[in-house]
Amino acid sequence: MIEFKHVDKVYPNGVKGLQDINLTIDQGEFVAIIGLSGAGKSTLIRTINRMIDVTGGQLIVDGTDVMSLKGKAMRRYRRKIGMIFQSYNLVTRATAIKNVLTSMVPDMNFFRVLLGLFSKEQKMHALEALDKVGILDKAYTRCDQLSGGQQQRVSLARTLNQNPTIILADEPVAALDPITAKQVMSDFQRINKEMNITVLINIHHVDLALKYCSRVIGIRAGEIVYDGPTDQVTQEVLDDIYNGTAIPTAEK
Amino acid sequence: MAKEKKTLSTNHPLTIEEAYASRPRLWWIYTLIILIVAALLGWSGTSITYKGLATKGITIAQGVGYGLIHPDTNLLFNLTNEGVPFQLLQTVAIAVLGTLIGGILAIPFSFLACDKIVPKWVSVIFRAVILGIRTIPSLVWALVWIRVTGPNAFCGVVTQSVCSIGMICKMYINAIEDIDKNILESLDAAGCNGFQKIRYGVLPQIIPNFISTVIYRFDINVKDATTLGIVGAGGIGAALIQCMNSSRWSMVGAYLCGMIVLMIFIEIFSTKIRTRLARG
Amino acid sequence: MKKKTSDTAYREPLFDRIFKPRTITLPNGHTVKKPVSRVPLITVIVIAVILVSAKVTEFDFGIILKRGYQLGYILGRIFHPDWSYFGADPANTSKLFSALLDTIKMSVLGSVIGATLALPIAVLSSTNINKNGIVVWFFRILLMVVRTLPTLIIAKFAALIFGLGTFAGTVAIVVFTFGVVAKMMYESIETIDMGAFEASESFGANKFQAFWNACMPQILPTYLSYCLYSLEMNIRAAAILGYVGAGGLGILINEFIGWRDYESLGAVLLALFVVVFIIENTSQYLRKKLS
Repeated sequence: MIEFKHVDKVYPNGVKGLQDINLTIDQGEFVAIIGLSGAGKSTLIRTINRMIDVTGGQLIVDGTDVMSLKGKAMRRYRRKIGMIFQSYNLVTRATAIKNVLTSMVPDMNFFRVLLGLFSKEQKMHALEALDKVGILDKAYTRCDQLSGGQQQRVSLARTLNQNPTIILADEPVAALDPITAKQVMSDFQRINKEMNITVLINIHHVDLALKYCSRVIGIRAGEIVYDGPTDQVTQEVLDDIYNGTAIPTAEK
Repeated sequence: MAKEKKTLSTNHPLTIEEAYASRPRLWWIYTLIILIVAALLGWSGTSITYKGLATKGITIAQGVGYGLIHPDTNLLFNLTNEGVPFQLLQTVAIAVLGTLIGGILAIPFSFLACDKIVPKWVSVIFRAVILGIRTIPSLVWALVWIRVTGPNAFCGVVTQSVCSIGMICKMYINAIEDIDKNILESLDAAGCNGFQKIRYGVLPQIIPNFISTVIYRFDINVKDATTLGIVGAGGIGAALIQCMNSSRWSMVGAYLCGMIVLMIFIEIFSTKIRTRLARG
Repeated sequence: MKKKTSDTAYREPLFDRIFKPRTITLPNGHTVKKPVSRVPLITVIVIAVILVSAKVTEFDFGIILKRGYQLGYILGRIFHPDWSYFGADPANTSKLFSALLDTIKMSVLGSVIGATLALPIAVLSSTNINKNGIVVWFFRILLMVVRTLPTLIIAKFAALIFGLGTFAGTVAIVVFTFGVVAKMMYESIETIDMGAFEASESFGANKFQAFWNACMPQILPTYLSYCLYSLEMNIRAAAILGYVGAGGLGILINEFIGWRDYESLGAVLLALFVVVFIIENTSQYLRKKLS
């Protein structure tokens, strides 16, 4: 469970990233975070795995105060949280399975990491993760030979390989065409339902958010302006979040 | 790199066991490469014996260290022919002339070595000539040219001109072969004749490249010019070696400091100009 | 390569502030500013530099015409190499080949050790991986100073400190390779994609693990390519180190030139030519495979 209690984020140059965020997200929810670029969506999800530090308030994830973690404890905490990036962030020259295996690295000793020695168990586990996202046949293909959608799935497999309790996705479908975007979104939905993993997804395309997610959080200028179920999101709500500007959709 | 997997005869989707079984096994290539490299290294080490420090080894190391920290300031600011500034100037001058002459002489050589411009057999001959020039170390060239010009700075100039031809030609040839033919095509379509195509299509592409190459070679030549001094072809190398042989460490320090400062200067300068040329 | 875009307004280059651009007005009233050509100024500078250089080096083309025949004479003798070094005379042959092998060994060992030392230093000198500005600048300045020293001078020092022989030569090559490879590496490391590194940190890898798994695969091909390139360079450099007593073919070269024995010199150069040819072509072939 993720709890934000009066969380603030002020950058060193004075810019306010987040203001008085109060939020509770239970295990197994599929939440979409929408808002304009620069509103604070990325900042919000990156505070959860402490890629960005909060400057005020408390952030408690599964009973742990995130800001109290240091060094090794913090890295162990991050093992349980997976992150998907807009630009996939894969090692393009390596094969898909190699990329998936890298998520096991923090648990391995120095020499195994140095020589890249993964046990048979680890390799089978990685293959299972690739199978779950449906690209088992591409396991031994180099990532730069895969399409965007396939690369994002490898990225998803890498995250699943960690057995996370929470998955954070920062604009995962922004670089994909509409059909592939829908496939990836339905992958997220399936993983969320079957494995009861909390999924928080930053997304620009409101129509996809409304279609696949159960809960929507709207952010404007670092503040939460809407927090509720998807079916209660009306045009007025959207206008409020997007400040009256045109609503971005996947088809545009 | 992965072997093409045998296609499954039935239509069932790939299982994990099958995927694992058909994984490419590359570990033996890596082991082989590592064994070869290790063998090479082992063999190389056979005649490199560490005989311990030379009898005066420590004194010399200390002397050099001392000289670097206490350079002979008289020498550093002495404006006569023996002083550091003049020696540096002469070294740079050798490199300037050597690079320029070499750069100009390299132009016909490199065009004659491109198999797209001249017949194959001509280019082969000239490539061999260029390779020959490049293989003879600059020191050897200097020692040969000394017989012609005598041991002075001019010898250094001539040596560097000849040596520069070697490397500059190599880079010129790369530039010429990389010419974008499409530009020539569009000039052709606009109705230009051969000369015009060269003047407006080929030259604007290769001249910045050529200049960049020359400047890059200049950087290297300044270093080389100091080395040539060791055999007497002028420049700061000669004075440096004399002082080293007579253990005048402060003077050695002065020359070294001068050299280091000069090189740093030239390198920064040449990198700046070359990035300007590349980015415009 | 990411570059910070400047927030300040466009600053006119110094040249344009001294030589103001001309304004050209078209018939329809639109104007455009044409900067004054830099070429005249550059030409003047270049000519001045050439004249000064010619004076300082006592440029004397006449000598070449007068004594140029010497060159022909010497080159003629060099191109009639003494074949006894290639098998006819066993003493000579072993002399040549042991020196040749020494040179090769020096270059290989020196290149490998130098390149191995260069990699960690290059990583520490890259601003995208090492966030400690002071350390980065320290290493970069150190590398710059190391690179300014010509190989032969380093070899001379090494020969004085460690005594004559191949060890000194190897040390010189290690130092030289270290400087050159480290610089090329950090310039290359700065251009890699840090995305996978960020991802590794996000699932709990420490800095070393993230670097090793995300950055190394990108750096490795370039690194190996530079290693091979430095091997090419070093063979040639190693050949002359013997001139200052640091072992290898240079000792023979020194000897033969001293005795004006150009036929033997020719034999040495021929052997060198063959070795350089083989190594260069192999290295270029391998480098093509790497990229």
